[in-house]
Amino acid sequence: MLPDNETRVQMYRTMLTSRHMDDRIMELYYKDKTPVFDIAAGLIPGEIHSSHGQEACAVGTVFVLGQEDWITATHRPHHTAIARGLCVKKILCEIMGKANGLSAGRGGHMHLYSKEHKFSSSGIIAEGMGPAAGMALASRMQGKGGIGVCYLGEAAVNQGAFHEVMNMAGVYKLPFICVIEDNNWGVSVSKAASTAIARNSDRASSYNALGLYVDSNDPDDIFNKMTEATEYTRSGKGPVILELKTYRLQGHMLGDPQHYVPEEEKQAFRDCTIDYKNKLVEQGVLTESEADSIIAEVKKEVDEAVEFAINSPLPDAKDALTGNFVE
Amino acid sequence: MNMSNNRVLTMARAGREAVKWEMENDKNVFMLGEDVYKFGGVFGTADGLGEIFGADRILDTPISETGFIGLATGAAIAGMKPIVELAFADFIGVCYSAIVNLAAKHHYLSNGEFKVPMVLMLGSGGGYNNGGQHSQAMHACLAHMPGMKVVAPSNAYDAKGFMHAAVQSDDFVVYMGQKRTSGVGFFGSPIPDSMSEIPDEPYTLEFGVARTVKEGTDVTVVAISWAVHQAMDAARELEKEGISVEVIDPRTLVPLDRDSIIKSVKKTGRLVVADEDYQSYGFTSEVIASVIETEPNVFKSAPVRVANPDTVIPYSRPMEQAVLPTSARIKQAILDVMK
Amino acid sequence: MNVIIPEDMWEDDKEGVIVSWIYQDGAEVSEGDAICEVIVEKIQSDIVAPASGKLSIISEADDVVQLGQQIATIS
Repeated sequence: MLPDNETRVQMYRTMLTSRHMDDRIMELYYKDKTPVFDIAAGLIPGEIHSSHGQEACAVGTVFVLGQEDWITATHRPHHTAIARGLCVKKILCEIMGKANGLSAGRGGHMHLYSKEHKFSSSGIIAEGMGPAAGMALASRMQGKGGIGVCYLGEAAVNQGAFHEVMNMAGVYKLPFICVIEDNNWGVSVSKAASTAIARNSDRASSYNALGLYVDSNDPDDIFNKMTEATEYTRSGKGPVILELKTYRLQGHMLGDPQHYVPEEEKQAFRDCTIDYKNKLVEQGVLTESEADSIIAEVKKEVDEAVEFAINSPLPDAKDALTGNFVE
Repeated sequence: MNMSNNRVLTMARAGREAVKWEMENDKNVFMLGEDVYKFGGVFGTADGLGEIFGADRILDTPISETGFIGLATGAAIAGMKPIVELAFADFIGVCYSAIVNLAAKHHYLSNGEFKVPMVLMLGSGGGYNNGGQHSQAMHACLAHMPGMKVVAPSNAYDAKGFMHAAVQSDDFVVYMGQKRTSGVGFFGSPIPDSMSEIPDEPYTLEFGVARTVKEGTDVTVVAISWAVHQAMDAARELEKEGISVEVIDPRTLVPLDRDSIIKSVKKTGRLVVADEDYQSYGFTSEVIASVIETEPNVFKSAPVRVANPDTVIPYSRPMEQAVLPTSARIKQAILDVMK
Repeated sequence: MNVIIPEDMWEDDKEGVIVSWIYQDGAEVSEGDAICEVIVEKIQSDIVAPASGKLSIISEADDVVQLGQQIATIS
């Protein structure tokens, strides 16, 4: 099922929100770390794995999901979090380690959580698989009809947890979808160098799962296949692997110049925020000036959120000691 | 507490009784692990429960520890109360990240938004010639890491009370049942002290509260799990020789009741710590450090650790027995601190 | 009433051992209560009380037992 025009415009707006947030983060990240790059310095310390180029994967999939569905995302979570509706201000506050961030600064950029949105992200490769499958199992046991969706990169598929959980999802016929964002690179190692087969969705038959593939990085195509995936898995037929070809525009993490990516591949990178805009304008869903207005609005909103986060307070050091246990 | 009918149960049976009651009274509780449904768990932890609760609530899993510990974590976050049965403590190696990075950390990293009310049951320890990869206590590897409570009961009364507490807790709790103290018949006769009179009704015990198993005045022996029974054997023998030994069983490694331990050592001035786990960087070190950093002048003699001397656990009987905290080794340690 | 090891509890060329008594000598038991644990090779099973009443134990823990053997009475 293809999305209606209202949804498509909303997807476009959401992709831009994620992109502009990542652009501002990138600017702020580098700004405080020169001349000598000190990863611990500045407003945004640590690592940042930005979502530049993969925004389509998030909107095309998340927009199909409902309130009862659970999501686990990866160390590269921004686009997925924003697509799910997490508050941009709170995300930015968390990334800057501020007291009013999503986790009051305890988690940081890789550990974004929102109970309200049934959303969490984790920095251990492929370890969103088990929890997402467990959330699916719980939802079924509770009669709530939710599905579990785990986002993974294509390199993470080679981690043992992927295999174990896909197999269990197949055995228990869980309402579970593994969305593979294939940007062709696991840090510096290409898929061809790390993975024995060309298409990870072909692995689905090993788990009695449905395998689906989209190579356009286009939100409409992704939305369409995700709809097929959710209908299949909700009907009790078992899990789905949905493989999405996409592009990682800013390296594994900010500061990674991607020297290992061949030049011709870099030249062939596509930017979904530009491609989708062109498509919507071409199809008369938006005019150029409407699109420009959306861009301007989004920039203003995100810039305000950035200012808010910059001006928010840091937490108290002693807060580090609480929170290991509920009681 | 109703001690009606004088039922005396083994640890495995008492723990199972608690699980059964919890599952009857809270539909969100379910058990999962290898060989739990028809087999009842390899150490009897789920014996008979499959017939009562069915295959959906006593859920057999494939051999996928990372997978099903992650699965249980997610189910707990989504409102269920899973009890994961991980037959051998040694297997935590295979799924250590799922335990320490997922189950143990989500609560903290989410600032409390995501709770993980899950119990991880482990069969720990050895002493029955099961070889170096199937006999480890693994106390330190788990107690060392933040975000999980760790309980290691030594007797049936504690086993039932702490199982109730573990299931009812909103926290992630690791429940370590030493295999030879479980009382499961294929380990030979149950250790008499591991069996207890058990009330019919449920009851919970508090984490972080030690039990003084035997009062004494000359020396404090702090022991955990199987080592508690060895300490008691040594204490009874030495009583006849005029040495008054106080035996303390902390029962929970995390939180650890340091206050009770310190109070006892202040009284006796002498300390022996016994643990089946590897010695260095472990429970025995933790107890001594906890006492000395608070009360450095309380010792009449240097404390002694009785633990596995940092060696891979051998198979052959005389060799394996030599690395365990047996009553003979504990007795010698007590005599050493009494000098 | 006699408490006996059921004839079909295990294959008749084997022997069992009493692992532990759940109720002690003199305790009041109800029909259907698990009162004793018996093991044959590696398989452990329960002996249940065939009637309600006061338990008098004949065979102790660690005793070797045969099929059909009386191990206690309930009066």
